[in-house]
Amino acid sequence: MPQRRALKTGVPWIQLTTTRDDWRNADPKLLTGMLVQLHLIRAFEETVLELAGENLVHGPAHSSIGQEGGAVGSIIGLRSSDGVTGSHRGHHQFLAKALGHVAPEGLSLDEPVSAAVGQVLRRTLAEILGLAQGYSGGRGGSMHLQWLEAGALGTNAIVGGGVPFAAGNAWAQRHAGTDDATIAYFGDGSAQIGSVLESLNLAAAWQLPVAFFIENNLYAVSTNVEEIAADPRLSVRGQGFGIPSWKVDGMDPLAVHLATQEAVARMRAGDGPAVIEADVYRFFHQNGSYPGSAFGYRTKQEESEWRERDPLVRVATELKSLRLLDDEGERALREAAQAAMREAAHALVEEDPQAPGTRRIKPDLWPDPGFVDVGIRGDASELDALEVLEPASYGGEWRDSRFVDAVAAVMDRRMEQDPRVIVLGEDVHRLGGGTNGATKGLVKKYGPHRVIGTPISENAFTGLGGGIALDGRFRPVVEFMYPDFLWVAADQVFNQIGKARHMFGGTNPMPFVLRTKVAMGSGYGSQHLMDPAGVFATAPGWRIVAPSNAADYVGLMNAALALEDPVLVIEHIDLYGLADRVPEGDLDYVIPPGTAVVRRQGSDVTVLAYLSMVQRCMEAIEQSGVDAELVDLRWLDQASIDWDTIGASIRKTNAVLIVEQGARGTSYGGWLADEIQRRYFDWLDHPVARVTGGEASPSISKVLERAAIAGTEEVVSGLLAVRAALGGQ
Amino acid sequence: MAHVVRMPSVVANATEAIVAQWLVSVGAHVSLGDPIAEIETEKALVEYAAEVEGTVGRLLAEPGATVAVGTPIAVVLEEGEDAASVTFDEPDPTPSRPEPAPAPQTAASATLTTTELAAPVTPPGANGTQPGGRLFTTPLVRRLATERGIDLTLVRGTGPHGRIVRRDLDAYTPTVESAPPPPASGQVAPAATGHTDVPLSGMRRAIARRLTESKTTVPHFYVTAHARVDQLLALRQEANVLASRKISVNDIVVKAVGAALVEVPAANAVWNGDAIRRFDGVDVAVAVAVPDGLLTPVVRGVHTLTVTELSARLADLAERARAGRLQQHELEGGSFSVSNLGMYGVDEFSAILNPPQAGILAVAAAKRQPVVGEDGELGVGSVMTVTLSADHRVIDGAVAAEWMAALVRRLENPLSILL
Repeated sequence: MPQRRALKTGVPWIQLTTTRDDWRNADPKLLTGMLVQLHLIRAFEETVLELAGENLVHGPAHSSIGQEGGAVGSIIGLRSSDGVTGSHRGHHQFLAKALGHVAPEGLSLDEPVSAAVGQVLRRTLAEILGLAQGYSGGRGGSMHLQWLEAGALGTNAIVGGGVPFAAGNAWAQRHAGTDDATIAYFGDGSAQIGSVLESLNLAAAWQLPVAFFIENNLYAVSTNVEEIAADPRLSVRGQGFGIPSWKVDGMDPLAVHLATQEAVARMRAGDGPAVIEADVYRFFHQNGSYPGSAFGYRTKQEESEWRERDPLVRVATELKSLRLLDDEGERALREAAQAAMREAAHALVEEDPQAPGTRRIKPDLWPDPGFVDVGIRGDASELDALEVLEPASYGGEWRDSRFVDAVAAVMDRRMEQDPRVIVLGEDVHRLGGGTNGATKGLVKKYGPHRVIGTPISENAFTGLGGGIALDGRFRPVVEFMYPDFLWVAADQVFNQIGKARHMFGGTNPMPFVLRTKVAMGSGYGSQHLMDPAGVFATAPGWRIVAPSNAADYVGLMNAALALEDPVLVIEHIDLYGLADRVPEGDLDYVIPPGTAVVRRQGSDVTVLAYLSMVQRCMEAIEQSGVDAELVDLRWLDQASIDWDTIGASIRKTNAVLIVEQGARGTSYGGWLADEIQRRYFDWLDHPVARVTGGEASPSISKVLERAAIAGTEEVVSGLLAVRAALGGQ
Repeated sequence: MAHVVRMPSVVANATEAIVAQWLVSVGAHVSLGDPIAEIETEKALVEYAAEVEGTVGRLLAEPGATVAVGTPIAVVLEEGEDAASVTFDEPDPTPSRPEPAPAPQTAASATLTTTELAAPVTPPGANGTQPGGRLFTTPLVRRLATERGIDLTLVRGTGPHGRIVRRDLDAYTPTVESAPPPPASGQVAPAATGHTDVPLSGMRRAIARRLTESKTTVPHFYVTAHARVDQLLALRQEANVLASRKISVNDIVVKAVGAALVEVPAANAVWNGDAIRRFDGVDVAVAVAVPDGLLTPVVRGVHTLTVTELSARLADLAERARAGRLQQHELEGGSFSVSNLGMYGVDEFSAILNPPQAGILAVAAAKRQPVVGEDGELGVGSVMTVTLSADHRVIDGAVAAEWMAALVRRLENPLSILL
């Protein structure tokens, strides 16, 4: 008979409820300030629904009516330098944070709507309506509300998508030496998605000052929490990750506040993260102004029971019993809030002269359509002051270096010169510099706080890096051990990091470097051997570099680390071990965007290649005897590619062969061929030709792997095919 | 039954030619072997002889127009036939182009998404026209044709599926009739004085193309020698006193070249791409200046001919070259060329190889000048400077020097070649 002993997590999990004494003991200014915020947010949300009903809100309007207590109760105690992230239903969180920022001493019943408050209401409404004066120029709208100055880091339309960023913000707060904290708001629908669960683990493992605030409103659209979780008390998640957790009645803003204060105290003290679950209820459906019962997934009775527990009523009732408010005061506050919103709306919409009795957006408030693609990325002017060196024409002394040693050396140099640079990734701190030696010696020199070995959770640590980059006090270098892991982290890579600048108005710096290595030929099979260039080239926020030699690596990595944009740095295992060279005594130069280099002059065909295929192409050209001009692209993204060099070559040869090693499906050359035929149609004497790997990802079997990827032989074939079509014979 | 005369394949692999001039007119009676037209190709202007007897019914090809090989150019009628009754396929769907080389096949298994590029170069219609009449050209070609004022329907396409590609445009020779109007101002540098643009003939284009290709792709090197030719000149003078026909210095030089090639067979070779081809006999091409350019008829079996025979052969070839009456086969082959500008009094020059030949000898004038004799005494002698241009892929320096020594030995001891 085995002995059996019950194990305990030893992690606190607390239900916190308020008593009469708590209300009596609370600072009256806090309570009245809460009531003012609750009323302003309620009136705001009613206005949004009213405008949505008039078809003036483009897209969904996810109302927070009924849930205001959770946001107000938790945020009202925060500083501007504390951060919050939110979900698609985030108006209330954003407004609470913004109001706290413009009125750090709290709002009063005497003057509930100051000019600054009026401006917050108007600009937030303008953003939701998609207007130029909104916080993100109208780009973000209802689901992407951001005001970094106020610590509102951005609400998010991807369920759970903003949570890793919150963890990153917390990491930056802590490592910048502050005792600031961050709260990540999300709902019951997000409480089991990977981003959230991975972030819970990361935050706990690294003791980050981030609170995971679950607004449990029982319904993910129409699906009840009882249907999707064995234990609907979602704060139970903290037990699994070693995070102290609080469960409170979200319709009681004071309870929320007290729980949050306890959690924040821990976070400020450096004791790590917290989970707060607030039970709330949205009075309406997922979006729009109909109740959920109208859609049949809940009852009118349930709705009326929750409505009786309206946080506005609750706080007003408590204040009245404390004689801090009377009916007249409550009515006056309500009217003031409604008047403020009428004023905000009046500034943005007007009677439609074409359709009397209806309203329209004031036409001059729309963003200029020319703004559509402004600020997808920075202008790279941050490189202007840096030393540019072109290794292809460098005439000074050289030093022998293996490629991978140049990788480690330039990272060492940058970390030495710039304390903001940190490295994150799986095993980057062990094995003598990660799995390939690319971070060799760094952890010893800079310690585990700057060279950080991560759990195997790409989505969270990539998003955490994104949060760090958005904060701006550090410059993260994240490593994917293999490129295919981008799919695991795809939401953070593309939806979050890649769009963080443009989506929020085009001004946010996002100094994020993602390193990865192409490993075709290593036998790692179908899920490890992609070339990520093609996929990243479809994400306009990203820049991409793909160095073919060590000296280029140094200059391109320095440029990547200096840019205020996310940059993918692609390496190749075939290059790591190569005996190569770098300029002696200089690890500081940059190779700026838009600088492809012609590796071989020729007249028959322009060969466009990058990374390890540059050398393959050089061999193939010699073997084939075709007089090809070989262009090493170096910068691959749509903004940084060097059209001048490519164009000059095409005008000369009138034929193009795009060469890449990997599978055709995710290949890079497709968009490039498309762009070339449009830019150079009148200069082309032949269709754009391509060499790629096979259709499928490379298999484990050595023979099948070789057959799936393009090598020198395939490039020779490609060149001969081009030559056969040149004509003139 | 009426006979359709088609554009002959004057030169092997030629795809087109020009009827330079009709030598007969409609209604004329022609007998077998009568010359009926002068056909001009890049390499030659040849007379084309009637292959049947009859009456010229129609002349289809315009003089000066480029016509694809195989295209009907004339109709010869039998007795009593009416030209109007003659029907024939036009244009000829089966041009005499050789089958193109198949697209390269490799064992490579990765994908080449070059389906179109890899497609065999199928024979086109008369030009880039496909069934249905559409003209297939590339974007570049359309732009260039507009700039150059070229009518693309006159250009033959050699790209995939007969598509007209840049190289076709570059090789295209506008005939006088289809020559574009003078380029708009701005396309050529404004001339300070008046000028005349001479349209390029097929021969001029061929010279330009072939010699540019030779000079830029064949690794030339040069060996020069000064030969004492007092004996040679004296001997020629003596021989001419009695000879039935007067032989020239050039005749003797060509004969000496032939003898030297026999002595040094390594120099009697051509570059054949994947092999060096050495010849058993000696065929020497001799450059002949013609009004519009240059022709290089070939004298075969130089080593078997006496100087007199050689002289007669050379004179005949030169005369017919200048008259545009060479047969195509007389222009083909040869392992070596001789170019003689001695009659113009030049001191020395070097020539460009005529691929695939591996050697060409540039012969300058024999001039009297101070010489140091074998006894060390300064005297006056006749000296001729000869310069060998050699293809280093075929002939190395030592071989060239050996060959040059053999040549000089013969030039300086002419009895050895006259006997």
